[in-house]
Amino acid sequence: MLLVALLAVPLAGAALLVRASGRAATLVHGVTALATVVLALAVSIAVVREATLQALDGFLRADALSAWMVALVGVVAGLAAVEAPHYAHGAARRFYPFFHLFVFTMLLAVTTDDLGFMWVAIEGTTLASVFLVNFERTRASLEASYKYVLICSVGIAVAFLGTVLVYFADVAHFAGTEHALRWTTLQRLAPALPPRIVEMAFVFLLVGYGTKAGLAPMHTWLPDAHSEAPAPVSAMMSGVLLAIGVYAILRFKPIVDVAAGPVVARRLLLGLGLASMAVAAAFLWNPKNYKRMLAYSSVEHLGLVSVGLGFGGPWGIAGAVLHIANHALAKSVLFLLSGRIRAAYASMEIAAVRGLLARLPVSGPLFFAAMLALLGLPPFGLFVSEVMIIGAGFAAGHVLAPVIALVLLAIAFAGLLHALQRMLHGEAAGRGVEHQGWAAVPMVAALVLLLMTGLAWPPGLAGALASITAVIAAP
Amino acid sequence: MSDLSNFLAFLGLVTTLLMVWRQSRPARVRLLAVQSLLLAAQAVAIAAFTGRYGLLLVAVALVVVKAWWIPRALARMGEGAPPRPLAPGRSAGLRLLGAGALVVGAYALMLPVTASSALPTRGGIPLAFAMALVGLYACVIGRDVMGQILGFLMFENGIFALGLLAAYGLPGLVEAGVFLDVLVVVLVAEGLVMQIRHEHATLDVDLLRELRG
Repeated sequence: MLLVALLAVPLAGAALLVRASGRAATLVHGVTALATVVLALAVSIAVVREATLQALDGFLRADALSAWMVALVGVVAGLAAVEAPHYAHGAARRFYPFFHLFVFTMLLAVTTDDLGFMWVAIEGTTLASVFLVNFERTRASLEASYKYVLICSVGIAVAFLGTVLVYFADVAHFAGTEHALRWTTLQRLAPALPPRIVEMAFVFLLVGYGTKAGLAPMHTWLPDAHSEAPAPVSAMMSGVLLAIGVYAILRFKPIVDVAAGPVVARRLLLGLGLASMAVAAAFLWNPKNYKRMLAYSSVEHLGLVSVGLGFGGPWGIAGAVLHIANHALAKSVLFLLSGRIRAAYASMEIAAVRGLLARLPVSGPLFFAAMLALLGLPPFGLFVSEVMIIGAGFAAGHVLAPVIALVLLAIAFAGLLHALQRMLHGEAAGRGVEHQGWAAVPMVAALVLLLMTGLAWPPGLAGALASITAVIAAP
Repeated sequence: MSDLSNFLAFLGLVTTLLMVWRQSRPARVRLLAVQSLLLAAQAVAIAAFTGRYGLLLVAVALVVVKAWWIPRALARMGEGAPPRPLAPGRSAGLRLLGAGALVVGAYALMLPVTASSALPTRGGIPLAFAMALVGLYACVIGRDVMGQILGFLMFENGIFALGLLAAYGLPGLVEAGVFLDVLVVVLVAEGLVMQIRHEHATLDVDLLRELRG
């Protein structure tokens, strides 16, 4: 029931918002977003208590991994929803329905047990968000949305090819299997699936869902789409949509590990991860546009997540899963703040932003703090998850790969720090007073959460990570 | 049954290769419609021989969505634009050579799949996979918006054929989702193409070069 409610609320909200305008639209938007956040957290808590939730005859299913993603989608959507009214202003009907439809597709992707339907939902995320990327209807946003819809649709079609092959491997050997594409079914049958076909399928799945996760060399749509979309949409795209690409890969990984051995998936993930980090480091060395800088930093962090999964082991997997959450919190806050910075300076160029701390007395310091978190400095959570991932590499006997990852992290660190320093200091064009300071409260809360994952893990976090690792690691 | 499904799969690959060869946009759109009709025929043939009548529904959806509605949408998108690319492109010979290499590669890659299939339609599996690969290739080398979208649809058709031949189609719900997806992708693409044509007065993607770095 809880799962059905979780999906029904954003869908119903989107349907209502098609016709609403003005204050009514803002109200329905707020209520829908709040209910979504509450239900997302309720689902997560229920999963912690009962291990798995099921609905609709097992079609919907949430285990520890799903619950982790549901909580992330809920929190980031909640953060984005608070800022959304500034952007939807005057064009609510073009913004809110797609916003909640986007949230719905993301939640559906992580709560369905059917991997075929998960594919449909993930393709749905692209289709729901493309209108939001093109919300401003400028030349640049038009180009970004065309690239986005084409590259992601082709990428996801490659993943569909992989899904067809998995389905074939399943039905060719177990004729008449019921619910053949369900994750629970595939996991049960995995030991007897033909290894070569499953291996080939995984390559397609990795390329396909890797495109959605923004892994290089399939990342080319990402910097455009993430920088052209309105800030709340960028926050959701960078914070959780990329992670959903990783989630899809994670669903197939245990099946492939059992059917074909763990080496294949690990090598591929490690290679793609390092390639992504290298591409991002090359750009981040000297970025010109701060929204593109944040977008490329997402390529870097998702690359690191992929590297962590490639290293494997309990630390590598737990580190990667924790890093997904840490990155989601830091990056969504940064993208939301980038929207405020853009509104104040009327530019996305780093060179145009001077004296941020003085010009925006609330957003400036918040941006500073969130950037420190993103850079992976203690006491924030990203430091901990990065240490876990790199440590897992050394523990697994790798030497070169973790060293390369560290060097690439250092390059990106230097570039980002330099850009941050240019934005923070200098003569501010005007001394600004920010209205609606209360709107920053959710962002402060997100940063507090990041401090907690860095300094003192809240009760239950270690347990949650252990149960997720148990889902991902082959039984 | 094997002969019929092999023949239909072969014709499907031929339409794909013809689409790579032809320059004229209306001709390629017509070929896409023909290819979708061939897929529908394949679905009907499998339904008739195996008694899986659910596939008849799939065939109807193929005719309505992919053979009728999508070609019409593509024709609307291209209305008024010159039917061929203005600048001389890379030669058709080179494109076909690339496509041919992919067909050979598809056969090699599909060996384990064909070997582990017991279905009478297994002979067509490498052909369908080749359709998909050549479609992906056409999409990647596409020089204008229309070429890229056509390539994507060819790719999608190839995967569809693969699902049909290797597993008699996917579960109904997934199949329905796929149709909905293709439909919406084309709708979205149509909206964007109209806006691109309004802004840039061209279908040529080389002019879309604002976002760099």
